[in-house]
Formats: sequence, structure tokens, C-alpha cells
Amino acid sequence: MNANDMTAFENTLRAYSRRMAFKTKLENVHQSLEADALLPVAEQRQPMRALWNIHRPTLAIAAAVAIMTTFATIILYRSYQNSHKQDQQYGMMMRNLAVIQQTQTRLMNNIGGRGRVFQQNPGQVAGSGFLLTASGYLVTNNHIVQGADSVYVQSQQGVVYKARLVHTDPQHDLAILQIGQDTAFHALPPVPYGFDARSSELGERVFTLGYPREEIVYGEGYLSSSTGFRGDSAAYQVAISVNPGNSGGPLLDERGNVIGIITAKQTTSEGATFAVKTNVLLNALNAIPADSLKADLLLVNRKGRMNRQSRKQQIKQMENYVYQVKVFKH
Amino acid sequence: MSETTRLIWTDDDLLSGLAEGSDKALSQLYRQHYPMVSHLVVTNSGSAEDAKDIYQETLIVLYEKVSAGDFDLHCQLKTFVYAVARRLWLKQLSLRGRSPMLRSAPMDDEPADDVADDLAEHQRRENQFAQMATSLDQLGEPCRTLLDDFYIRRLSMQAITEKFGYTNADNAKTQKYKCLTRLKRIFFKDYQDDDDQ
Repeated sequence: MNANDMTAFENTLRAYSRRMAFKTKLENVHQSLEADALLPVAEQRQPMRALWNIHRPTLAIAAAVAIMTTFATIILYRSYQNSHKQDQQYGMMMRNLAVIQQTQTRLMNNIGGRGRVFQQNPGQVAGSGFLLTASGYLVTNNHIVQGADSVYVQSQQGVVYKARLVHTDPQHDLAILQIGQDTAFHALPPVPYGFDARSSELGERVFTLGYPREEIVYGEGYLSSSTGFRGDSAAYQVAISVNPGNSGGPLLDERGNVIGIITAKQTTSEGATFAVKTNVLLNALNAIPADSLKADLLLVNRKGRMNRQSRKQQIKQMENYVYQVKVFKH
Repeated sequence: MSETTRLIWTDDDLLSGLAEGSDKALSQLYRQHYPMVSHLVVTNSGSAEDAKDIYQETLIVLYEKVSAGDFDLHCQLKTFVYAVARRLWLKQLSLRGRSPMLRSAPMDDEPADDVADDLAEHQRRENQFAQMATSLDQLGEPCRTLLDDFYIRRLSMQAITEKFGYTNADNAKTQKYKCLTRLKRIFFKDYQDDDDQ
């Protein structure tokens, strides 16, 4: 171990001691300066801002994508809703005859010229309708006769009458027809059913007659809600099975009073059929301008004759007053 | 010019003051560049405590360079301090496993090569001093206190003789030498330094 080595090591030790002394001094300087408030206080928000600055481009892109996705989704959803929801959920119960193309034996046998109309050009749309008065006023749904060139009604016996459109109420989907001017039409006995404007109770047993096919079809159910589709207060919700063609048919309670007109059903749920309330119908009748009636009075029966009859008798009586409505369009 | 009336310190004044161990010069120097380094560290994901450590280490580099007497400043003192602090903080960040990315760009007139050399030297000394600290810890009493008193507290041989109860200063000197030899042996037992070979 030579002296040079020793001196070098001694110098290292001295340097070390100087370093230690200087460190202590620095610490003291720092503390005294800090105590005199001569050192600026570092901002605590800076690291956050630095992070923000570094990731800003990424965040901007992510935000842009998120916004675009959100709006695209909303737009798609809205357009889907607009184009499908109404059609899908709220199916109007009219029957498209061009699709069905049934042979109408009875009509073909009919020698009178009327049958030929249907042979040559079967109606495009069909629904049901029923007499308001024995003089030949009918009510049906507006969506059946909408855009019609001509409207024919066909009785249960197969007799066809030409109908005139008297009045429409698109808001409540009602249309008033008149067949009384057709020469083939003979006034019937007064209508057996009454029109009850009072609101019916939930759970009321109800039945309907209509033409989902060429024959008259009976269906029964119960009143399930006093409002219609999406809370529509002008309609009832009825648990009754209906099919295309039932539209415009009468909805009657147990005493044989008309309480509504079948209009539509909700396709997304089972057993939700909607019927326009009778008081809405009566309001619509009052709104018809006197000119349209051509001086014929339109007074409906407030009290029916079938109060105490059995269901079978009620149906037998009613059959003659419920018609199939056939519509021709271009 | 007396130090008490000095209002403006030039870089040279500060450096010579620092080399002489003037408290006023150190205090002035400390105040002058602290905000810059503090800002550098804090804006690059460091805390105020980190800023203090980095600044003090920077000043140590500067101090040891000045003490060695070979300090030849080719740029502004500010630029040098910034360059050193920036490199030290980068190293600290990579040691912590953080991405060594600073938003603060280096200054234009930075003497990059000089600073790199200085830092290499600093790193070598750092290793040496760390080894010295562990060796001193292993040394044991009374050698530890004796060397502390002589080299670090810089007591005179006479004071040490009295404190430790040696018969005379020569005796104390011999003791000191023995202790130093032991420390040296411990130091080199597991320390290899290319420069000392």
C-alpha cells in the first residue's frame, strides 16, 4: 500500500466530506429561503395539465368518434322508429283482397250485373261496416275507404250495394257511408242495437261481428283498458281476437249496445285490439254538415232491443246489419 | 466591492463565491435558478419535492465542478443549470419506469458534450460516495467518529487528542492512520473504479 494510494483515498474522503457539508448547506439555504417565502410555490395543477396536453390529440379523436357514433345511433334509431314502429305495432285491420284472391261463388252465381263488377275487378281492400240507421247509413273505418274510387258494401246474403261516402273523420279513423240511395236497397226493420255513449267499465264482456273473410265471423272478449294505443282516450283497448277485415266492425256489450268500432290492433303484443268509442262516433255524426246528408235524417238508436236476448239471438238479429265494405282504388 | 452592498451578481461573481464557500453567493444562486428548475420538473410530472432534489443535485454538480477549479463556462450559467437539471430529471424519470419524455425542449446554445462529460464525472463520484457512506457505516467505533471528526467536522488533531483521551497528538495521528487504512480496505473490498486502478 503506497503513499500515493493513501493520499488519493484521503482526497476522496475529503471530497466526500465536502459533498456532505455542501448538502447540509443547500438544505439550510433552501429552508431559510422557503421560510422567507422567496421560493415560488410550485403549482399543483401542472401535472394534470401536462397529462392533458400529452393525450389531447387522442382524446379529441375519441371524443369525435363517440359523438358521431351517438348521433348516428340516434338518427338510425329515429328513422327506424318512424318507418317501422307505427306500422308494426299498430296494424289496421283491413283486408287486402288483391292478395287473397278468393273465388266468390255466390257472386258468380249472381245473374245481376252487380256481381260482374267483382268478377272483373275484385276490390282491393275490404273491411267491415255496420248500419247506423235502417235508412241506410253505415259507419266504417276511414283507413278502409281512404283514397277510394268507389265503395261497395256487401250484405251477409251476398247482395252488393253501391255506397256513397258521406263524411270522414280521419283523426278518429271514422267514415260514414250511405247506401240508402241505391235502388236495390230496401229499408230494413229498425236496427236492433242501441248506441251507448256512456263509458263502459273495464271487464265488460264484449263481442264483435266482422268480415275477416267472405263469411261473417263472430268474436268475443272483454274490455281491458279505457284508453287506446299510447293512451288514446278516444278508444278502448279490448282483448278480443281480430284479423284483417275486422276493421269497422261493431263492438257490442252484453246488452247488445254498440260501445265502439274496431279499428286496429297492436301487433307487438297479444290480444290488444283497439276500438273507437261510441261517443266519439256520435260526436262525429253531429259534426256532419247538413248538406252531406241530403235532407235524410241521421238519428241513431239510443236504446237497443236485444237487452235480454241470448247471445245467439243477438247475433242472428245483427247479422243483417253488418256489411262487408269493399273498396276500389287505382 | 463588499458583499453586503452587492446588488447585481454576475455569473462569475456567483461562481467564485460558490467556490469560496460564500453563503450569500450560494443563497443568491439558489434563488436565481430555483423557479426555472422547479417549473421544469413540476410541468413534467414531478412534485415540488422532486424539484428540490433535482435542483440541489444540479447545484452539487456545479459546486464540485467549480471546486475542482477547472470550470470554464462556455455558455450562460442559466443554460448550464437548465441542461444539467433536465438530464438529471430525465434519468430520474427513467429510473422510476416512467416514459422519459419531456415537454420542455433543451435550450439552443446548450454545450451538450461538456454537460455529458460533467454528468459522467458526477455519476462516477456518486458511486464513489455511496460506497464511502457504506464503508463508513461498516467501519465501527471509535474509528468512525474519529474520521468523522477529522475529515468531516474538521476538528484539529489537538481537539481530537483531547476528545478521545490519547496521550499526545502523534498517538492520535497513528490511530487516525490505522482507521483510514481500515476504511480503505473496506472501501476497495467490493469497489472497482476504472479511474483508480
